[in-house]
Amino acid sequence: MDKKGVILVVDDDPDIVATSRIILESNGYEVQTAANGKDAVSLLSRIKPDLVMLDVMMTSDTEGFDLAFKLKEDPEFKDLPIIMLTSFLDKVRAEGPGPFEFILGEAWPVEWLFEKPLDTKKLLARIEAILKAKKET
Amino acid sequence: MAAVPRHPENHPPWELLEQIRWLVRIRWWAAAGVLTAVVCAVAAGVVFAAWKFILVLGFILAYNTWIYQRSRGRPDDRVSTPEDGRQLTLWQVALDAAVLWGFTCLSGGVASPVVFGLLLPVFCAAVLLSPRSAHLFCAVILAGLGLTALAELTGGLPHPSILYQGRELAPLPHPLPLAANLGIFGAVALLAARFTAAVVHTLRRQVDDLGRLQQAETDFGRKLQTLFSIMEGIGSALKLEQVLTTATAEVALVMQVKASSVKLLTEDGKFLRYAAAFGLPESFVRDQVVEVARSPLNKRIIDGEPFVTGQLTAKEMFQFGEVLSEAQIQSVLFVPLHVEGRVMGILGAYCEKPARFSDRDVEFFRLAAGLVAIAIENARAYEAVKTISNERNWFMMKVTHNLRAPLAGMLSILEVVREGYLGAINDEQSEYLRRLDRRARTMLSMINGLMALSRNRERTRVDPNATTAPEELARRVRRTFQDKAAEKRLAFQVNLPENLPPIRGQLETLEQLLENLVSNAIKYTPAEGSVEVKFAKANGTVRIEVSDTGIGIPAADRPRLFTEFFRAENAKSMDEVGTGLGLAIVKEIVDKLGGRTLIESEEGVGTIFVVHLPVAPVAKEART
Repeated sequence: MDKKGVILVVDDDPDIVATSRIILESNGYEVQTAANGKDAVSLLSRIKPDLVMLDVMMTSDTEGFDLAFKLKEDPEFKDLPIIMLTSFLDKVRAEGPGPFEFILGEAWPVEWLFEKPLDTKKLLARIEAILKAKKET
Repeated sequence: MAAVPRHPENHPPWELLEQIRWLVRIRWWAAAGVLTAVVCAVAAGVVFAAWKFILVLGFILAYNTWIYQRSRGRPDDRVSTPEDGRQLTLWQVALDAAVLWGFTCLSGGVASPVVFGLLLPVFCAAVLLSPRSAHLFCAVILAGLGLTALAELTGGLPHPSILYQGRELAPLPHPLPLAANLGIFGAVALLAARFTAAVVHTLRRQVDDLGRLQQAETDFGRKLQTLFSIMEGIGSALKLEQVLTTATAEVALVMQVKASSVKLLTEDGKFLRYAAAFGLPESFVRDQVVEVARSPLNKRIIDGEPFVTGQLTAKEMFQFGEVLSEAQIQSVLFVPLHVEGRVMGILGAYCEKPARFSDRDVEFFRLAAGLVAIAIENARAYEAVKTISNERNWFMMKVTHNLRAPLAGMLSILEVVREGYLGAINDEQSEYLRRLDRRARTMLSMINGLMALSRNRERTRVDPNATTAPEELARRVRRTFQDKAAEKRLAFQVNLPENLPPIRGQLETLEQLLENLVSNAIKYTPAEGSVEVKFAKANGTVRIEVSDTGIGIPAADRPRLFTEFFRAENAKSMDEVGTGLGLAIVKEIVDKLGGRTLIESEEGVGTIFVVHLPVAPVAKEART
């Protein structure tokens, strides 16, 4: 069976990485992982993923956001969809940056922000929708 | 500042001018009086040289016109200096004396009662001129009268003739009456001149003292005002820099010095850095650090002297004497800033004149230093509290993250197992995994709730002036809950009338308040029920009603409903995750905003929560 797409999961929590891998692979995606922003950057140009799942707080409190901003400014990766994951928020709004508005302002750089623990069904539906939209353009 | 010293004789020109004008008016009336007297006398058949009187009258009119001309207009026109005023005064008393002397001669000489009319210019001189001039003037008149009497006796002055019904009215020149009149006149004139001059002199001195007092009072008022401004600054601005900038500027202005500065001692006590300055060169303030050991004046303050003054002529006393000299500063005044009983810095004043600091200046400066020290103490305390608060927030954030991260990992693993990714599980296993999942999620919401409660205590204290539009609040609540309500097949409605006034409080805070109520309503309402949020305008408040057709709250549980971690019995028995923090958060927020909460509930029928939130003050709205 053809892979539905390559997803790079960046998170310093091995349990999250492991479970994400199981869920995504079972649903037909190829999964690559990195434990921090630096590893992610070195992997990116090699594996050319279709989507990145990015944790917010890793080595530093905003490492995920820093990387997201960097990627959106990079011409090579500016169209790469990013889904941010965080366990920091007590509540994440489905249609916008929500409480992160104060950090991000108008320049909301990522496609989606998900709260951990992840709602698997919603996450899968969202990934599918993003990749579908990407293929169409 | 002391009052401008006014010499009693140098009263301002406009004061003299007023008196001159008054005399001019009197003279017109006097001339009219003399004319009437002459006409009456002629009509009554008195035979005398009336034309001579008319001639003198003409002279009066002539010089009075001249004086009138010169005294006309504003003080800054013709009689602009005290000297001018004095000259004019001299002229008119002299001319008045001459005219009265003329009348005296025409009406029978020194023996005539008219001679006492000469007392008038003597009075005028005593009031308007200095005591010395007044006495001199008096002596001249006396001498003149003496000479006149002598001339009368020797026949050098022709005796006037005033005949009435054949009788001579003018007294004949006889040594005795002449001497008597001259003696009485002389005594009265001298005493009058002396007494008047003395009284006027005392009066003027008192007026001057009063002026000086008034000036002192104004100065005092301004100093108080300055101290008050500094105090106000301490109260309203907690940023040290801001308080010190205001304080230095105010102090310099009220003391009328070129510059002022606040220098603070470094930790090791070896250097003084400028914390704020007014009127000193900017580069100087920014770059220079005073080394206490090299600056004897500063060192004396650090060593405990209550104040020091210094002259820039003594260059060795200053580390940066050249720079200060270049800035045209000639003398300085330093007082210590005592914080917590130690000298923490120096308040300095810099003057362009040499040695001008009076005891009063020093006294005021020390008062100002006391206030500045309090400002420093306040600001430092505030900084410390802020640091602690920031550290606490950071700590809470870390705690939240570190508590949630393992839970998130745990729940992810549970999900993978429960969803069968790792192979099939039987029903019993599934049930226990479900229970595990529920307990883990309870823990997660409890962490969330605790964080919200703690953050909220922080937040509502920070900005009580914020306002929120009810429309936005309604929009957000609708957006947040419509999916959840639909999932549970609940009818969910948010009703909002138009033109509701803004509510006091931040949007996020109010949103959290409402979310807790609505999420409870949804949580405890069985499928197919309904949840409704209704906004309405009430008296000075916006009334928000959250009603549901849920399980209700037992009457026995209502009193403890808003207590942290409390959950009603029937809620606990439901298969729903709850922490007992939601309503505690609601109460916390409503109390802080000055609103109130009402509950109406019947078990098995439903619950209505009503929250009254104060409308934002209109004035504040307009300003923001």
